[in-house]
Amino acid sequence: MNAIETKNLSKNFGVKQAVCGLDMTVPMGAIYGFIGENGSGKSTTEKMICGLIPVSSGSIKLYGRDHTDGDVRAKIGVLIEAPGCFPGLTVWDNMMLQAANLGIENPEKEVIKVLKTVRMEGAASNKFKNCSLGMKQRVGIAMALLGDPTLLVLDEPLNGLDADGMRIMREVFLDIVKDGKRSIVVSSHLLGELQKVATHYGIIRHGKMIVEMTAEELDASCRTYGALQSADVNRTKTLLGCKYSRVEEDEAGFLRVYDDVTPEEIVSYLYENNITLTELKTDKIGLEEYYIDLMNGGKK
Amino acid sequence: MMENSVKFESVGFSKRLRSMLRVDFRRMWRSRYFYILIACALLIPIVMTVMMNMMDGTESIDQQTGETVIMEGPESAWQNLGTLPSEEKVKGAEIFAMCNINMAFMGVSVFVCLFISEDFRSGYSKNLFTVRAKKGDYVTSKTLAGFICGALMLIAYFIGTILGGAIAGLSFDLSAYNLTAMNIVMSMIAKILLMLVFVSIFTLISVAAKQRTWLSICGSLGGGMLLFMMIDLVAAPVGSTAINVALCLFGGALFALGLGAFSNLVLKKTSLV
Repeated sequence: MNAIETKNLSKNFGVKQAVCGLDMTVPMGAIYGFIGENGSGKSTTEKMICGLIPVSSGSIKLYGRDHTDGDVRAKIGVLIEAPGCFPGLTVWDNMMLQAANLGIENPEKEVIKVLKTVRMEGAASNKFKNCSLGMKQRVGIAMALLGDPTLLVLDEPLNGLDADGMRIMREVFLDIVKDGKRSIVVSSHLLGELQKVATHYGIIRHGKMIVEMTAEELDASCRTYGALQSADVNRTKTLLGCKYSRVEEDEAGFLRVYDDVTPEEIVSYLYENNITLTELKTDKIGLEEYYIDLMNGGKK
Repeated sequence: MMENSVKFESVGFSKRLRSMLRVDFRRMWRSRYFYILIACALLIPIVMTVMMNMMDGTESIDQQTGETVIMEGPESAWQNLGTLPSEEKVKGAEIFAMCNINMAFMGVSVFVCLFISEDFRSGYSKNLFTVRAKKGDYVTSKTLAGFICGALMLIAYFIGTILGGAIAGLSFDLSAYNLTAMNIVMSMIAKILLMLVFVSIFTLISVAAKQRTWLSICGSLGGGMLLFMMIDLVAAPVGSTAINVALCLFGGALFALGLGAFSNLVLKKTSLV
């Protein structure tokens, strides 16, 4: 059984088709990285899954049941676009409201537990409107975690989080899915962070699913590249650019050669041109490069 | 081997409604505007009665006609509850015909509109509707919260009427207008039941307007005013009887169910974010 299964899902806003014929499968126990450009239809799809906007056509099944089934929907935790909190109320009051909404018995204990999980127990008495962006995001995630949800739908949950916040979220995500039944759909533009936890990926463009794959399949699809450093970066780059079709400099100052070429060939070519290498390594492209390649229609 | 299925607890209507009501009442007790409206409902009749009584017999000159106008204060404390039945014109009747307890019907529109639009403006509606596939829970709960607020406003206005009358030293005699205490009780019950009609309309308008607070307030005030002119005078006058109570009960139930179903449909067919 899959946690989410959409078939031929479409959504029109007037004449504009935001999602068209989307087939999406999120297995149970998966952390599903939902990736796409701005306006590609990620949030619209997530809102349809959560029943927040009506579906134009197609179907959505959650754990084998129709997505309008109240029993399944009662076990969804959601954070879409921004945390849904009343700005004039305190963090504690907002959490207690959501606990009441979920019909949680012994809400105080549960609220304290989730606030501790996101390290926000010390800010419970703060008014929500006075919280920083990162704190608001943590509250939103805590709210989504209330009631021990079976399915979490999180849209850009990592926005505004500091390094510690991101690490906590990774731990929380992995903890949630460890029983193999609960699943998380997480859309984020921080692909590097997403790659650290995601077990499955879905890439959407113009409302259509381009590719769905597991983390293992992504790993197998990602080709290797040669990364090198030399004393004369500019000359090396020019030389490599003359011979190879794609040479790029990364943030660390390494020149990356993406062509299908062995390190020996690169070394010998540069040696012939009197370039001395200080470092040479091979690595695999990450999710970010894979995604950019895919969007540009290039090879993986 | 890990079981490849997940069991979901079935949540019945009463449990769903209870949790939704808990959310709404928790919020209501924490809303500043709720207390402001109740305070207004309490203070308006006191201020109105005392001020009008102080101005009784004051002469002023009409700027347009140049005629001398003598201000008329209230004759009875019960004028705050509506137009008194009397063959002769009661002193101060014109002002109190416009400014009486029925203003609470309009006041509650502000509460309902703010209460519902806040859900959508804050984004809390996402949390609510994700876990609530049945939109009827939301409509029922909001209608009940609005009804309670409206009922409390009417009661506050009634208390203000008594206090204002006592401060101004007005007569509480009902027999002069062929009324009994039972008429006043029936009138209050009828007005409270009539509140359901108004709250149902305001709920529908607010649900349709969603986060557009001003649209919902203007729509509610306009719609409420029209309905108010049509039904209040015949449905819940000061001299109400059991028939008026039955009429208001029937009307309240009919509107709450009919417009509730319509609000439900609006929520189902439109975006909730």
